[in-house]
Amino acid sequence: MRSVVQWSRRQLGSFPVLLLLTASSVLGIAALTTQPRATPEIEISNRPIQVPDDGFVSSTTCKTCHPNEYATWSGSYHRTMTQVATPDTVQANFDDVTVSEASGRAMHLERRGTEFWAEFDDPGWEGPSTDRPRIMRQVVMITGSHHQQIYWYATGHDRSLNILPGVFLLDDRRWVSRSAVLLHPPDQSVATFNGHWNAICVACHTTAPKTKFDTPFRSEAISQQAVDTTAAEFGIACEACHGPGEEHVRANRNPVRRYLNHITGKEDGLMIQPALLDPQASSQVCGQCHSVWEFYELEDERIANSEGFPYRPGDELTDTRFVAQPMGAPNSATLRTFVEQDPDFVRGSFWSDGMVRVSGREYNGLIDSPCFRDATEPQETLSCFSCHTMHKSPLDSRPIETWANTHQVSSNREGNEACLQCHETMTPNLSQHTNHQVDSAGSACYNCHMPYTSYGLLKAIRSHTVSSPSVDESITTGRPNACNLCHLDKTLAWTGEALNSWYGQQPPTLNEDETLVAASLLWMLKGDAGIRALTAWSLGWKPAQETSGTSWMVPHLSELLNDPYEAVRYIAYRSLRSLPSYAEFDYDYLAQQSERVEKVVPILQAWRASVVASQRQEAELLIDANGNLQTDVMRRLFDLRDNRRLFLRE
Amino acid sequence: MSDNNDGTIDYASKHIRFGWWALLVFLTLGFILEMMHGFKVRFYLDVANETRRLMWTLAHAHGTLLSVIHIVFGLCLHAQAGMARGKLPLVSSSLVGASILLPGGFFLGGVMFYSGDPGLGILVLPIGAVLLGIAVFFIARSTATPSQ
Repeated sequence: MRSVVQWSRRQLGSFPVLLLLTASSVLGIAALTTQPRATPEIEISNRPIQVPDDGFVSSTTCKTCHPNEYATWSGSYHRTMTQVATPDTVQANFDDVTVSEASGRAMHLERRGTEFWAEFDDPGWEGPSTDRPRIMRQVVMITGSHHQQIYWYATGHDRSLNILPGVFLLDDRRWVSRSAVLLHPPDQSVATFNGHWNAICVACHTTAPKTKFDTPFRSEAISQQAVDTTAAEFGIACEACHGPGEEHVRANRNPVRRYLNHITGKEDGLMIQPALLDPQASSQVCGQCHSVWEFYELEDERIANSEGFPYRPGDELTDTRFVAQPMGAPNSATLRTFVEQDPDFVRGSFWSDGMVRVSGREYNGLIDSPCFRDATEPQETLSCFSCHTMHKSPLDSRPIETWANTHQVSSNREGNEACLQCHETMTPNLSQHTNHQVDSAGSACYNCHMPYTSYGLLKAIRSHTVSSPSVDESITTGRPNACNLCHLDKTLAWTGEALNSWYGQQPPTLNEDETLVAASLLWMLKGDAGIRALTAWSLGWKPAQETSGTSWMVPHLSELLNDPYEAVRYIAYRSLRSLPSYAEFDYDYLAQQSERVEKVVPILQAWRASVVASQRQEAELLIDANGNLQTDVMRRLFDLRDNRRLFLRE
Repeated sequence: MSDNNDGTIDYASKHIRFGWWALLVFLTLGFILEMMHGFKVRFYLDVANETRRLMWTLAHAHGTLLSVIHIVFGLCLHAQAGMARGKLPLVSSSLVGASILLPGGFFLGGVMFYSGDPGLGILVLPIGAVLLGIAVFFIARSTATPSQ
């Protein structure tokens, strides 16, 4: 009897333990089985997938040993250049939203759990436009996370993607049509096609892409081709710049090898460190994407599409790609061939003197810069890494987001230090060289030698061709010169005199308008759409506003609110809103012309009646002594406008 | 209750004393680490210092746990005669050595480090781990032997 009682007590004593163990197991299993399971990439069939092969291992592997490098890259826009559409990555509202701003009839957006769907006009319809059917497609991928998000839908044909008819502007929190974010002729639609992402975007917005068409690209309609597009990783990840990492990872599983390298400071030798390459090779790592390039032969492109792109960091880029250089090598036979095939090949990306004029092509600017082109010593040669860093230094106190928003400029390279690291003799005599106060915008090296003469993403971007300002460049190419991009209220003649007396530049031969009318007004009235966009942007640039005053800008920016190019109107509106009292000005750059005119007329009347209108009654600004606009001169200059159709290929 | 004919009580007292003092040291370390969290000290929290943060957290955790083990071991020596009999000097020295080298290795590994790899100070850690293994082995073995 006693033993039975003892046995029972023992059993009862262990019962709570057993109960706890059972409950824990059940809870654990429930937690594991009820968690949403991420679908493995290989099981996804309606979009391109991430397949690390050919020696690529993906950034998640790199993270283990390089946490700081991973974190700073992860916080940059390189990572989020291409993302899978998920509730974490999609920034637009898809909750039963109708978007009327998209091309065609209104687009309807909806969420289905964690999926994003859109109903819109079928862009592939070839029958009468009145019969164009609606299609419902799942949005599966995103391009961009900084200025705008472009959404890609699964076409249903293998892994091929096409673009939604609307683009979401992040700053404005609004949808616009695809064409409204590009600087293109107003009567020219922006082409999109089935497989657009797979054929074009994949090249520079992913790491180690393979388009994988079953037949050579362009040999037949993409709808007839099997499309099995893959990339080692979406976005521009570690191995895009360092090369494939499989061998490095395998070798460095050995701690003895790692610590020997740590102690001796020896380079691993199995990965490319772009910052340690010579300036040419290191810049080519960036130039693989940040350049205007083409394959030499169609056959090269076909091979790349099926087997992947042959360039690897450290290689000579021009072995496998033609990098257009109309400034440095204008007579290149290859360049001529491309221009024969595509007459706008140069004009769409370069000024007439060959300087690159679109964003995202900074390598073209670098290689034409004397600091790169004419340098003889590696340590004195400009490279991308002279100013930029892909991994924020631990010593850099800026938050990662701040650093990323400076286009990844190194912490001690945001000001003149970038140039003075080589031009150190300027340091004690900066003002003597610039003829501006040392701490003024006119003494900032960038402002004179890398002015905002490139266009992209609905704004002006600094030229990456280091050059010296001249009036001649404005006369011969139309490109705004650095002086008048800040001294917007001054004439080219004024600038010519200053450059002559300060630097001995030959005074240019100018016509009457160039002598009497402020350069910025000539550019806004006579310039091509790209020049108008750059000038409109400069009117909103704070240093230029402080230098030139703002009271005279309203009527001239108002003119551009009715520019035929949507991009110019957008930029003019942003600049107008930066002026005192115009922050709340309500205007839609995509509205019908009559509606836009209705908005502009009261603005002009209000400006005319205001005190500021009388502050600058100067003929150079086309405002007469009575405060009236010299509309006859404006009309005459307007009639001289360069109306050649311009599509800037940013 | 064991007697002190073989110095067991002395060892017990030593380990209890060592344990409490070590606990004070590693709780203080924990307090300092918490303070660094509170004041967002970049030297400790920056992603570039992730290895340091991991190493010092491990130093705190291992040090605290080993301190408690010292106290428990001391109490066990009091309660159970014959524990680690014959090997007590070895077990005691190993346990003390492990309690210095294990958290010390982690701590030193976080002072200077190489990106994702701890600094060379981590090399003392395996020695500590071996000492701990020796101590635990002889203690475990003695618990399987009927006490005399």
